[in-house]
Amino acid sequence: MKSMNRLPLQLSVASSLVLAACGVVAQEADTYTPIALQNRPPLKTAWQPGKPLIVQLGAGYTSDDNYMFGQYNGLNKEGATAIGNLQWQDFNSGNNYWKGYVSNLGLDTREGELTFGRPGRFSITAGYDSQLQVKSDEGRTPFSGGSNLKLPDDWVSGLTTADWTNLNQSLHGFDQELKRERVYLKADTRLNRNWTVDTNLSYEEKQGSQDIGGGIYIDASSADAVLLNQPVDYRTSDFDLGLTYSDSRLTLGGRVFYSEFDNQNEVLTWQNPYSSYGPSARYPAGIGGLGEAPDNDQVGGRFTGQYIFSPTIRLQVDGSYAVASQNQDFLDYSVNPAFVVNVPVPRSDYGGDVDSSTFNTKLLLNPMPKLSAELYYKYRDRDYNAPRDGYQYIRGDGGNQPGTAATVYNTNHDYSSEVPGFEVSYRLPLRSRLSFDYEYEKVTRENAPVEETEQDRYTLAYRIQPWSNFTSRLEVGYADRAADTYEWAQDYYALLDTELINATPDNERYINHPQLMKFYMANREQWQTKADFSYLPTEQWNIGLNLQWIDNNYDASNLGLTQDEWYRSNISASYVASETLSASVYAGYDYYKADQTSRAFRGGPEKNAFAVYPPLPQASDPNQDWDGELEDTSITLGANLQWQAAKDIEINFDYSYVDTQSDQNLGTSATSALEASDLPGVNTRLHHVQLAGIWHLQENLFLQLDYQYYDYKSDDWAWNGVQPDTIGKVLTFGQGNPNEQINYVGASVIYHWE
Amino acid sequence: MAGNRGKFHLLCCGLLLAATGMLAHAERAERQCLDCHADDDAPIHAIAGTVHGSLAGGGSESCVACHGASTAHKQKATKNPPDVSFGPKWPSPAEARSASCQTCHDKGDQLLWAGSEHQQENLSCDSCHNAHEQKDLVQGKLDSEKICLDCHTQVKSELHLPSRHPIAEGKTACTDCHNPHGGVGHAALRQVSVNDNCFSCHADKRGPFLWEHPPAAEDCTLCHKPHGSVNEPLLTARGPALCQQCHAAAFHPSLPYGSEGLPGGSANQNLLGKNCLNCHSQIHGSNHPSGARLTR
Repeated sequence: MKSMNRLPLQLSVASSLVLAACGVVAQEADTYTPIALQNRPPLKTAWQPGKPLIVQLGAGYTSDDNYMFGQYNGLNKEGATAIGNLQWQDFNSGNNYWKGYVSNLGLDTREGELTFGRPGRFSITAGYDSQLQVKSDEGRTPFSGGSNLKLPDDWVSGLTTADWTNLNQSLHGFDQELKRERVYLKADTRLNRNWTVDTNLSYEEKQGSQDIGGGIYIDASSADAVLLNQPVDYRTSDFDLGLTYSDSRLTLGGRVFYSEFDNQNEVLTWQNPYSSYGPSARYPAGIGGLGEAPDNDQVGGRFTGQYIFSPTIRLQVDGSYAVASQNQDFLDYSVNPAFVVNVPVPRSDYGGDVDSSTFNTKLLLNPMPKLSAELYYKYRDRDYNAPRDGYQYIRGDGGNQPGTAATVYNTNHDYSSEVPGFEVSYRLPLRSRLSFDYEYEKVTRENAPVEETEQDRYTLAYRIQPWSNFTSRLEVGYADRAADTYEWAQDYYALLDTELINATPDNERYINHPQLMKFYMANREQWQTKADFSYLPTEQWNIGLNLQWIDNNYDASNLGLTQDEWYRSNISASYVASETLSASVYAGYDYYKADQTSRAFRGGPEKNAFAVYPPLPQASDPNQDWDGELEDTSITLGANLQWQAAKDIEINFDYSYVDTQSDQNLGTSATSALEASDLPGVNTRLHHVQLAGIWHLQENLFLQLDYQYYDYKSDDWAWNGVQPDTIGKVLTFGQGNPNEQINYVGASVIYHWE
Repeated sequence: MAGNRGKFHLLCCGLLLAATGMLAHAERAERQCLDCHADDDAPIHAIAGTVHGSLAGGGSESCVACHGASTAHKQKATKNPPDVSFGPKWPSPAEARSASCQTCHDKGDQLLWAGSEHQQENLSCDSCHNAHEQKDLVQGKLDSEKICLDCHTQVKSELHLPSRHPIAEGKTACTDCHNPHGGVGHAALRQVSVNDNCFSCHADKRGPFLWEHPPAAEDCTLCHKPHGSVNEPLLTARGPALCQQCHAAAFHPSLPYGSEGLPGGSANQNLLGKNCLNCHSQIHGSNHPSGARLTR
C-alpha cells in the first residue's frame, strides 16, 4: 500500500522528466498533429468492394448452452444457428439513393435499417433492432405463475428453508433472459440554405424475466425472504422534433421531445413459503407484493447553438427544460386483504412531477494566435413538485396497519448545481501547449444531511510534440470540496412522525450513526494525474502508453467511506507492415481500493451515540468499530492480427484475456467482540479467441470460416455452494457460478452483386 | 510581292501557332479531377458508392465540393496541392479540413465541433471518418468502438470486464452516450446529464418515485461504472460493503459481514445471494405506499 501511495508522485515526476527531456533535444516544428490514430489497420476487403449488394449466408454451431459467451450475442443455446447479413445500396437512381443492411438475421440480436434520401436535401430511415441479454440458466424456483407467483399445492412449509422437506421436488428451472425489440423512424430535410428539420420516433418493447428479492416481515430484525423470477414487460416510446437555423455567424437548434414508459405489470405478488408470523402472514395465506416500476413520461425542450462574434470570439450554449411525471394509481398498503387498514393511503397517486433544468454555456476566445481561453458556466436543477404526506404503512405484508406513531413521510430531494470556470491555454515552442483550468462547483441539496457543498478544482495540463513521431501529455488536477455542517439527524426528522420522535430519547434520534458521512456530500480532497504517450518509432509501428490515477480522501469522515483510489494503466503497440498485414497487442491493469469504517450497534439504549462515561452503549463505544478494505484488480491482455496470407486468402485473429480479483478484508479492534474475518477473493478469468478465414473463391464469391473459443471461470462466494435452502431465511435460485468452455464454428459464403 | 506573301504566310502561321497555344492552355485550364484520377481501381473511386459521390451532380464536381476548385493543382498537379487536401502527401491544416466538411455538416451532432475537446487536440473530421469508402467504419456501432479506442485506451480494459454493456457485440456504441463532435456539458454526453443519458435506455429508473433513493436520483455513477466493472451489475464495489459506505443504522446495517457468514458458517442473508437486495430490492426508488425502506 505504501508503494502504491508513492506511485502517483513517482508517475508525475517521471512524466515531467520525460517531457523536459523532450524539450531539450527536440526540434522546432509546425502545428501539433495527433499520431495515435495513424497506422490504423486496413479495412476488411470482403465488405468494401464497391459493390451495391453484398450478401452473406451460412450456418454456425455453438457447442453448449451458456450465459456468459452468449450474454449479448444471441449464441447462448447449444445448436445450429443461421448466419445472415446483407448490405445494399443504390446510388444510381438519379438524384436519390437507397441504402440498407440486415445483420444477424438468424439470431435474436438481428437488426436492419433502410434509408432513402437525396444528398443535401433529405433522408428517411426506418430500422429495427433486437437485443438479448441472458443471465444464469441454472436457476431453480418452486414458484409458478407470471406476476402472481404461487407455490405447488403440496408445498411443505417451515420456519426456515431447511424445514421445507419437499423443496427439491418442487424446484423447476427457468431462464433469465431480457429481450429488447425496437423499431425506429428518422427523417431530416434541408428546407433551404439555412433551415433544416429533423425528427425521430422509436418504440421499444423489453420483455423477459429478471431476478428480484422480496421479504415478508414485521420488523427489521428478520425477514422471510425469497428470490423471485420477475416477469418484465416494458414499452417505451420516444419522439423528438428539431429545427435548426444556420448562417455564417449563428447556428441555433431547438428541439422538443417526449418519452413515455409503460410497464404492463403493476405488482409482483408471491405466496409466502415460510410459516413465521401470524396465520394471515404465514403459508398458505401469506402474500407479499412488490410494486413494479411505475409508468412515467417526460416532456421537454432543448436548445443548442453558437454565435460567432468574430474569428476569435465564439459563444456556445445548450439549455433544456423537462418535466417528468407519473400518476400511476397507488397500490394498497398490502396486497394481503386479511390485514386491517384503518387509515387509507393519503392520496390515490404520486400527484406530482419533477422539473429538470440545465443551462451550459461556453465563451471561446482566441485573443492572440498562441493564446486561447474559455469561460464556461454549467447549471443543473432538479425540482420536485410533489405533496408530502404521511403513510401509515404496513411493514413487509406481515401484519395489521400499525398505529399513527409509525407513520412515515415522503421527502422531496431537490438538487441544484452551478459550475462556473475558465480554461487558459498557451502554445509554446516545440508544438507544446500549457493549459490551466479552474472550476468552482456549488451543489445545493434540500432535505439532505448537507445543504451545500463547495468545491474548487484546479487542473494543469501540458502537451508536447517535440518530434513528428512522438506526442505526450501530462495532466495534474486537485480538487478540494468543503461541506456544510453534516446534519446527521436530518433524515430522521424528515421521515418519522412526531409521536415517535417525541417518544425517543434525544440521544437516539438518528437513522445512520452521527459520525457517518455519506461520501458524495462529505469533505473531500482529490488528486488526479493522467499521462499519455504516443510514439511511432517507424512508419509501421505505433506505441501508446496511458496512465491514470485518482485519489479521494474524505478527511472529515469518521465513519463511512474514508478513502478510495483508482489506478489505470494501458500499453498498446500496433504494427502495420503493409495493406496485407497488421497486428496489435495491448495490456491493461486496473486497480481500485476503498477504505471504509463503521460501528456496529443495536437499538434501544445501545443506540445512544453520545455517552462518554463507561459502560459505553454500543453506539458510543469505539470498540464496536470495524473497518473494511476493498480491492479490485484486473489485468486485460489482447492481440489482433489481420493478414492477407495470399492473394485470395485473408485471416483475422483476435485474442482477449481478462483476469480479475476482488478482495474484502475486514478488521476490528483488538478488544472487540465482533466477528469479522476476511472474505475470500472473487476471481474471474476469461480467454476468448476469435479466428476468421476468408477465401476469395471467385471474383464475386468468398467463403468465410469462423471459429471462437470462449473459456470463462468465476468463483463468487455470494453464489458458491449456495443452494436454494443454504440460507435459512432466503430462498435463492441455487444458481452457482459460470464455468464455460464454448466452441463456436461458422461457415458462410459472401456474394457480391453488381 | 513574293516577300509580302511570305510575310503574310509567316504571320498566319504565327497566329495559328498562338491560337493553338491558347487553345491548349484553355484545355489544360478546363481539365477535371477525374481526367487524372481516372484509374477505376483507385480506392478513391469508392466514393461513387456513397452519398458524397453525388454531391453537386456527381463526377468531378463532387470532388470540388470538398477539395475546392483547386485550379493550381489542375494546372500543375505534381507541384501544387488541392485547395483542401486530406493527405497523405499535402495534408491541409486540421481547421481547413474540418471547415470543408462543416460547409454542410454544421448542424445536429456537429453543431458544437469548434472548441470541442477533439478539435482542440487538432483532430479533424477525417481523423475518424473516411468519405472515400463505401462504408464509413466509424458510423457502424461495431467498428466505431475500435476507432475511439485508438486514443481512449484507458477505457479499453474496462470494456472487457465481467460486468459490461454490449459494446463488443455492437449493440451499444460509444456514440450512444457520447457525442464525439463535442458538447458543452460534461464528458460530451448526448443528454443533458448523466442520469438522463442512462434513462434513455433505462426509462424504468426515471421515476419520479414516492420514495426516492437520493444518490440514485442524483447521479447513477455514484454507484455504477458505465464502461465496465468487476462487480455485477456495473457496480463500483460489491454489496453489502457498497451500501455500508453510506448506511450505518442500528442492527443489521451496521454489522460487519465477513467469511463467517459463508456457507458452512452462518450462511448470512445479508452477505450471500443478492446481499442487501435480498430484501431491499427497490434500490432505485419505490412507488409503493409501504415502500419507505425500499423493500416494496
